[in-house]
Formats: sequence, structure tokens, C-alpha cells
Amino acid sequence: MMESEEKIVQILCERFPFLQGRIAARKAKRIFSDALSKDEFMQIVAFIHDELNFRRGHLVVGTDEGDNLGLLYVLSNPEFILLNLRESVPKANPVVTTLSDLYPSLMMHERELVSLFGVIVEGLPKGISYPLPDGWPEGNYPMRKEWNPDYFNRNTLAYDPPQEKEEQK
Amino acid sequence: MINAIIGIGYNHRGLEKACESRNYIQDLYIIERVCGICSHIHSTAFCMSIETLTGVTVSKRAEYIRVVVAELERLHSHLLWLGIAFHEIGFDTMFMYTWRNREKVLNLLATIGGNRVNYGVNTFGGVRRDFDETINAEILSTVDLLEEEIKSYLHLALTESTLAVRLVGVGKLSHEDAIKFGAVGPVARAAGIAEDMRVIEPFGAYKDFPLHVATDQGADVYGKTVVRILEMQESLRMIRLCIKNLPDGPLTVRVPRRVPAGEVLTRVEAPRGENIHYVRSNGTDMPDRVRVRAPSQANWHGMQHMLQGGNLADVPITIAAIDPCYSCTDRAIIIHSENETKLTDWRKLRQYSIDWYKKQGVDCSTLKL
Amino acid sequence: MAQLLAIIWKALVIPGFLFMSSYGFLVEFVDRKLYARMQNRIGPPWYQPLADFLKLIGKKTIIPSDADESMFRNMPIISLAAIASAFLYVPVLGMNAVFSFSGDLIIVLYFLAIPTLAMFLAGWYSRGVFATLGATRILTQMFVYEVPLFISLLAPALLAGSWSISGIAAYYAAHPLYALINIPCMFVALVAFQCKMERAPFDSPEAETEIVSGALVEYGGRLLAFFRWGSDCELVLILSLFSAIYLPFMTGILWLDLILYFVKTLLGLFLLTLMRATMARLVINEIVRFCWKYLTPVALLQVVFNLLIRRAL
Repeated sequence: MMESEEKIVQILCERFPFLQGRIAARKAKRIFSDALSKDEFMQIVAFIHDELNFRRGHLVVGTDEGDNLGLLYVLSNPEFILLNLRESVPKANPVVTTLSDLYPSLMMHERELVSLFGVIVEGLPKGISYPLPDGWPEGNYPMRKEWNPDYFNRNTLAYDPPQEKEEQK
Repeated sequence: MINAIIGIGYNHRGLEKACESRNYIQDLYIIERVCGICSHIHSTAFCMSIETLTGVTVSKRAEYIRVVVAELERLHSHLLWLGIAFHEIGFDTMFMYTWRNREKVLNLLATIGGNRVNYGVNTFGGVRRDFDETINAEILSTVDLLEEEIKSYLHLALTESTLAVRLVGVGKLSHEDAIKFGAVGPVARAAGIAEDMRVIEPFGAYKDFPLHVATDQGADVYGKTVVRILEMQESLRMIRLCIKNLPDGPLTVRVPRRVPAGEVLTRVEAPRGENIHYVRSNGTDMPDRVRVRAPSQANWHGMQHMLQGGNLADVPITIAAIDPCYSCTDRAIIIHSENETKLTDWRKLRQYSIDWYKKQGVDCSTLKL
Repeated sequence: MAQLLAIIWKALVIPGFLFMSSYGFLVEFVDRKLYARMQNRIGPPWYQPLADFLKLIGKKTIIPSDADESMFRNMPIISLAAIASAFLYVPVLGMNAVFSFSGDLIIVLYFLAIPTLAMFLAGWYSRGVFATLGATRILTQMFVYEVPLFISLLAPALLAGSWSISGIAAYYAAHPLYALINIPCMFVALVAFQCKMERAPFDSPEAETEIVSGALVEYGGRLLAFFRWGSDCELVLILSLFSAIYLPFMTGILWLDLILYFVKTLLGLFLLTLMRATMARLVINEIVRFCWKYLTPVALLQVVFNLLIRRAL
């Protein structure tokens, strides 16, 4: 039942030895990887697209891992197997390269990462900010865990966390 | 039509952030309200995610009930779409007829769940509503009624010439483009891609009664229309099979409050296409991350491509053909009269309505948005 | 003096302006009610068109800052005036119109073109995207239906040997069987009238889902009320023209002729509403193709045929 998933994992581990032990087929039609660095991830992408036929991009899930930001890319092949690759970048310097030239359908999801997580996606074509409005204040990344919607004033668009007020006392 | 720029996100509600600060039961109510038309399928996907994370197996009866409500939802969603499509091309008579039939489905859903949208049938571990003999009889009689009507729609779609003139060749999205831009659901099936999550990742009755996937090779709006009508016929067949073979069993199974740590991706077939839910838990009773990828989000990418090269008259029907879940935009009015210039933006409009209601004796200023 | 008063009475009250306006509201009600019943709905009550008119009159008139104000304000009045003038030449009570002379058919057709041009100018001088699109569609549609409309109204005139509408009505009332010869161009005229009134399937200039409301998108309040009043009166005018030229069953007795008039015009209205309810909207290039490919040739054939028959008589 899981032969094709196991086979894909095997091919990937043979081709990229650094993936050994970090990628597994957890159940039918689901292959998950552990967090990869940006360089490791970019090495794999072209191979996956061209050789393994994972040509369809479904979504990119951004996650907040504390010091890092995680990006989970969900891709699929004609057999409808989902390959979930996790890329991890430090929050202080969250730079990734765009996949929208290989997977045009991921462009909107990458824009969402730019708005909501503050990821810098190199190579992303210029476009309308999504989903946050145009006048959204810089530096406010709502989906990061430290951003609390209660401290955000919707009328003045200012973010005032209470610690600063306590320090002023 | 030379080019179009897609600018959406006007009604971003921040649901995913809201889910992180509430427990799973509260999140079920939030997720159910992601969409009004496909609310049940969103709550089904969320419940399935939690059930996978906690390792719980749902009873067969509950799964069958979930399938029946999902297919009823698909029926009313496609009838809505059919009416809107007719309205977009100026055929108001069929708009009225299809929506009248939709009322029958909505009444049925109100009998089952208590509400016409957001029926609240799902809970973790099963369903909250049961089907008894009266409901079964009502479902079967409504299905019989609708079968005749939908057959006539198919006949109309295949034979009416003004319809063909407006829909054929409009909004083309070829097989390769559909894969490249990640189109899902009827949009992809109209381009010949035989992909349906009910067949690829089946649950419940979809496992026992295999589904025929309706495809068309036209890749245009006409193909999408035909695909949706054929899907309605499949839904009717599925509902009949489920009701006639409804197994006995408990409605719910106990699910622990704290969900063990892990992550899961669930895919289900909403009326508009493939719906992906990603849930990551950290062992507490609040999720770490919830991500909902509704099918309309996937279908927008191909929109620019579909609109290029068409006429202005084809724009509404092309946009409607992907069956988007829209919301209203922000509003502002500027009125110049002889004496003054007034700018009324959303906040002032809201204050105006609060004052107006206060004069009627109703105080809604304390409502928190 | 008494004659002058009689003419003023006829022009302003019956069968003139007041009669046309009230019948216009009644015709709008019948149209909407029939349309609703065909769609399995209930439809509005009998006073709805009057209620809509009164409500619109009471609203504030807002003119876009870019628009040409004098054109914006004057177009509705010009439209209404043209229709009211044209109505005087169409026979309503009996075979004689209020005024008639040889050639008044052509005058009425010219008057009928004025409301369409007024709407085009109204849209053009509103200076918005949707208004301009709607205005150009109105003109495009006008170019294609004017020819079959004119020809199909001229063919019965050729057979009757008269250029006056009252003369045509009198001729066919005397020889009712000859009216059957005109049946092909009667259908052409029906479709061309539907085009003129911009009703489905030819309502591309006013396509609400594409260009909001077409040329009249910036109109509201009193000015829109006058435009809609003009449309209702235009409907009465073309129904009267239709029944005078193609359905000329007259008895000579006044009250019987009045009842016959109502029956004939309502029959025409029923056919127009049926067309409206059963078809989807055609795109503007489809309308152009349809008019040139089907309507005009049939009308031309009818003219040739009628000329031959006239020769033979």
C-alpha cells in the first residue's frame, strides 16, 4: 500500500544523503520531512519538480517555532501523494527564495507569509499585499506568536504592548 | 480584456490567529464559520483532523450521517451556483427556478440541523444530530423531487442555444494550466483532470459506495456547468444509497480534551474543490497552528489567465465559474452638496446606524466586533 | 375656439399624454406581473409602477462632478417630449389618430429614435466607465436594429399604399385578410421592438451584471423617474404602433374599438414578455450578427413580396 511512498523516500535519501533519517512516509499518501535549512531545501526542489514529478503546489503553511520561522511546503504528484517539506529560517533573518517560478500556485501563499510572518521572499514578483490591507503598519506580523491582537489599536493602527507602559511607570 | 490584477483579502478575519488562543471545542465553531455555503465540510475536515491526532475511530453511523449532510450541502451549493451563473448571463427565469429548488434543500437541512447554514451537525468523535424515520422519509422525497428538476437542467444545458453561445469557449483553462495554477474541484474536472478527494481520500460511505467522477474535456465555463450538474446527480444517488443503508451504532465516541502533540493534513472535497486543513497540536487543549486552505484560494491563481483575451461581457461569468466565496468590501461615501462636503467612512457609517437604532430604542453600541 | 380646446383635450388627456402615461404604468405592471408569474413568483401589486415613480420623484438628485450638468438634466425631458409628440400620430380610439397626414409614419419613426439617442447622450455625458460602455452599446445596437425595424414597418405601408399610420390602419381594417401577408415582417418587427426597448435577450446596453446599469448608471431621483416614465410611454407607443399596423381589426364603434385596442396591445405585450422570460442575454456582437443575418433579409424579402402583390392588385 505504501510502496510508492517508501520508494520516493528511498530515492530522495539516495540522491541527497543529508536527508537520511530526516524524511519519512508517516502514513498513506503523506511524506513529512524534518526542518531543513534554506540551502538544503533549495538543493532538493529542482529534483523533486523535474525528476519525481511533484508538479503541483497546494499551499505553504507558516509556523512560528520560537527563534525560527518554519515553512511547510505541500506538494503533490499525479498519484496524489502529498510531500510536505519543512524549511526553517531564523526569525532574525527570515530570507527564502521564491518557488513561484516552478509552482505559480504558491505565489499567493508566499505573499501571505510576507504579510503575516514577515518572511522575505526573494524573487517574488511585485504585487498587491495579501491578505492585509495596503496601509498596514510596518513591523506588525500578526501570525507571530509574540503579536497579541489585544494590544493593537484598530483606529490608530498602533501596537502598544503593556510592558512598555509598566516600564514608563 | 487585456489584463486583470487580482486584489483580494478585503475581509481577512484573522481566524487562524483566533484559533490559536481558543480551545478545540471553541475552534470547531470558528472553523464551521469559515464559509457559509460549505460550513459542514470545513467542520468535518477539522473533526477528522482532531480524530486522527487523538487516534479515535468514528462509528459508521456517524460517518454516513456526515456524508449525507455533505452531499446535501453540495446540492445546495451547486444549485446556488447554477442560479448565479444564469443571473450573470441575464437568464433570470432559470435563476428563480434553481433557487426555488434550493429552498427545498435548505428546508431539509434546517429540519436536520436546526439552521439553514452552519448546521452544527459535527462534533469531535461523531455527530450531534440523528436521523429518524421521518427525516429519512423527507430526505428521500426531496431527492425524488430534485431528480426530475436536475434532469431538466441537464437537458437545458445541453440543448439551449443562447446558453451555449454565452458559455462555450469562455474562460478557458487548459489541462496544463489547471495543473500549473493549482486549480481544484469542478474547475479542474472541467479541464479533464479526474481528481476528486472523495475518491482519493475517502471516508465513510465514500469507501463503501465508489463515486463516479464527472469530467468534461471542454475546459471552459460550459464544461464547468455540465460538470456541476452531473455532480448534483451523483450527490442524489449517494444520498439515496446512504439513507437506504444507514448502519446502526453510537453517534459519538469519547475524545480526550487534551490532544496529543503531532501534526496532520486532512483533505476533503468541498463543493468548490479540495479543502486542506493543517492542524498542529502541542499536547494542550489549544492548538499550536491551524491552517485552512479553502478551495477558492487555489482557484484564484488561474483567474488572471482565464480572463485575458475575453470580452467584458464574459468577465462576470468567468469569475463566477470558479464559484468564489466572496465577502463585501470596505465602503466609503463622499457626498458634495451645496453647503458642505461630507466624507462618511465605515466607522462613521457604523456610528450612524448605532444612532439610528438608538432612536428606535435598541442599543447595539456595546456589541464588540 | 372649441376646436382648439378639443385638440388640446385630445393631445393632453385622451388619447394623449395622460392616457399614455396611465396606460404606461398599467403596461409596466402587467409586464412585471407576467414576468414574475412565468418565473413562479408572485409579482408586484397593480400600483407598483406608480409607487416607484412617486418614490423616485421624492429622492435627492445627485449629479457627478465630471458630468455635463445641462445635458444630464435635459435628456430625460427630451426623451419624454419626443414620445409624447409621436403618440399623437398613432391611432388609439378608432382608426384616426389625433393628427394624421401622409408621411406621419416616417415622422413617428424619427421620433422613436430620439429617446435612444437621448439615453446615449445621457450616458456619454455622465463620463463614467460604465456609462460610456453602456452608451456605446446603445448606439451599436441602434445601428443594427433600425434597419430591420424601418423596413418591416414600411412593408405593410407599401402594400396599403399609404404613408400615414391612420391610412394603413384604415386599409387593413377594410381588407383584413391582407394583414396575413405581413406575418413574417410582424415577427421581425416584434423582435426589433424588443431590441429597441433594450429588453432581454437584447438588454446588453443595460446588462446589470456587467456594467451595473449601462448609460443611466449615474441617474437617480427625479431625472431617473422621468427616464423610466419615458420608457413606459415608449412601450405603450410601440405596442400601439404594432397593433395599428399589424393587428388592424376595427369595428368603427368607439367603445368596442377601445376594448379591441387594449386586447391587441396586451397581446403584443404578452409576446414581448414571453421573449424576455425565456431567453438569456446575448452579447453585443451576437446581437449585431443576429440582426444582420436574420432580421434584415426577412424584412427585405417581405418588402419585395409586398411590392409584387401591390403590382398585382
